[in-house]
Amino acid sequence: MFNKYTWIVLKKELTDIFRDKKTIITSILIPILVFPILAFVIGSSTDQFLGQNNNPVDMALISEEENKLEEFLKANDNVNIIEVENPQEALKELDIKVILKIDKGFDERIERGEAGNIEFIYDITSSRSDMAQSRLNGIIGEFSHSITLSKLEELGISSQILNPINIEKTILENQQADQGIGLMILSIILPLMLTVWSAVGGMAAATDLGVGEKERQTLEPLLTTKASRLSLLMGKYFAVVVAGILGTLAALTGFGIASEINPNFTGSGVTMPIQSIIAIGILCIGLALIFSALELTISFYARSFKEAQTYLSPMTIIVMIPAYFTMYLDGKEIPDLFLHIPIINTISIIKESIVGVFNIEHILIVAGWTIVYIGLALFFTVRMFNKESVIFRS
Amino acid sequence: MIQVKGLTKIFKKVEAVKNVSFTVEKGTVFGLLGENGAGKTTTLRILATMLKPTSGTASIDGTDLLVDPEEVRSKIGILFGGETGLYDRLTARENIKYFGLLNGMSKEEVSRRINELSDILDMQEYIDRRAGKFSKGMKQKVSIARSIVHNPEIMLFDEPTSGLDVTAVRMVHDFIKRLKDQGKTIIFSSHSMNEVEKLCDVVGVIHKGKIIEVSTVKNLREKYNNMELEDIFVELVGDKNV
Repeated sequence: MFNKYTWIVLKKELTDIFRDKKTIITSILIPILVFPILAFVIGSSTDQFLGQNNNPVDMALISEEENKLEEFLKANDNVNIIEVENPQEALKELDIKVILKIDKGFDERIERGEAGNIEFIYDITSSRSDMAQSRLNGIIGEFSHSITLSKLEELGISSQILNPINIEKTILENQQADQGIGLMILSIILPLMLTVWSAVGGMAAATDLGVGEKERQTLEPLLTTKASRLSLLMGKYFAVVVAGILGTLAALTGFGIASEINPNFTGSGVTMPIQSIIAIGILCIGLALIFSALELTISFYARSFKEAQTYLSPMTIIVMIPAYFTMYLDGKEIPDLFLHIPIINTISIIKESIVGVFNIEHILIVAGWTIVYIGLALFFTVRMFNKESVIFRS
Repeated sequence: MIQVKGLTKIFKKVEAVKNVSFTVEKGTVFGLLGENGAGKTTTLRILATMLKPTSGTASIDGTDLLVDPEEVRSKIGILFGGETGLYDRLTARENIKYFGLLNGMSKEEVSRRINELSDILDMQEYIDRRAGKFSKGMKQKVSIARSIVHNPEIMLFDEPTSGLDVTAVRMVHDFIKRLKDQGKTIIFSSHSMNEVEKLCDVVGVIHKGKIIEVSTVKNLREKYNNMELEDIFVELVGDKNV
């Protein structure tokens, strides 16, 4: 399977791949850059969001008489009451984010022990207006709570009556309080990233080495050399696998840079044992071996570069479906069936590793299936490469 | 020596080559003359073991192509016409070296041979330049070097001058003559009567997958009252078309 001719082809193909700007851009540069850019964009928009949250709420107040709520709001630093001639128009233009209407007799109703009526007018299609009404709701909630407390005090009742149950939350030993969100982010992003890039990282190389060779008319001379078809095919196959693995490593590098730019991007407080990282690495290489064979098969089948790209493009979506399907899968409760389904089984092991589970039985089952899938994929590739009607298809 | 015995190739329902038999003696140039789609390329592809015959076989210097295809491939060199395919991102030297190594040569042998071929084919100026921006003529020279880097005893030329300009055509013709002088056995496929007449010792006329005549150019002339080869071809093919 791996003889001197395979090695010659592999070396030549890797030289060729690394001299191809297109392959370098799609397989190495994009995976390295996409996560840092994503982290930067998410970080900036989060900062912007938090910045808006820290600014006072720009609002208009409609009230026919003086009342305590108006006094409370005017004294509150988180509120900026703006005088406008036409509040509805100002809201449409987002000069103000929310209008508060306080009904006549508000204070009297509260004095009588009834509910005071107020109304929020806001633009539901604007996230900033929606957020402003939500913040104003919280601020008025504080005012409402202070009224409740003073009423209870007047009646001689302890405010403890409002909280009849005390809840204490304790996490397991060796766990950190902020780990939960980090685990959730990582268990969604990491499996998606690793599986997608392992599967599609070699796509550009597969296209070039299969149908590209046919289109350049270099395949026929190659088939007349002393090297057997299997040796030629294996050289090409391993070159595509290397490109796929490099794509995955590039994505991981990008992921690392992204976590430096924006620590919230990857989630903090998550550590994985070394054996889990090795298992994930091996299984991702397994995925690259399966998909490289499939991509090369499709590439040899295609008549032209364009046709190959049409066939290969949906493969990214095919890989993303299981990644999305298992997005909220709990790494501590993997259904047995999932260990037998391609892609999903690799994702299951990644999810287990993220939550600190190292189940050797599960890993061996997935590794076994991965070997079977590699064998099947290669069987089709070899068959396709030996088919005269495919190789000389034009 | 090449011996072709009852070679037949059927693609689905199309019989591209029908019971073709001929012999090419060592050191001779055999011209396979036929119209487009006559079966020339399919015959050469079978001889180069790229295609498996549906029936029949052939032997190259005593090696049956069905028994030991790898050995057959090591004995032949093949040059295709039309758009010559090279690896654009590799230099001319790297292109030739790749094929030398894949034909079982050592690195030292290949290196020596490339220098030799570079002198013979006058490629010194661009031997270390990437092939992407080569002219058709330059590409054809690299292709020639690639096909003979392992110094095969038998050469197959599949319409090698197709699409080339006059200078490049002359270069290919000179090259074939040089190989002939070296005693190589050559099959040269073409639909150009002039080329075949100029270069070949023996002509095999192929039409609709069948060999309809095999003879020396001289004998053909005698048989057809000293007619031009083109007229002989038209008469032969015309008969079969009726």
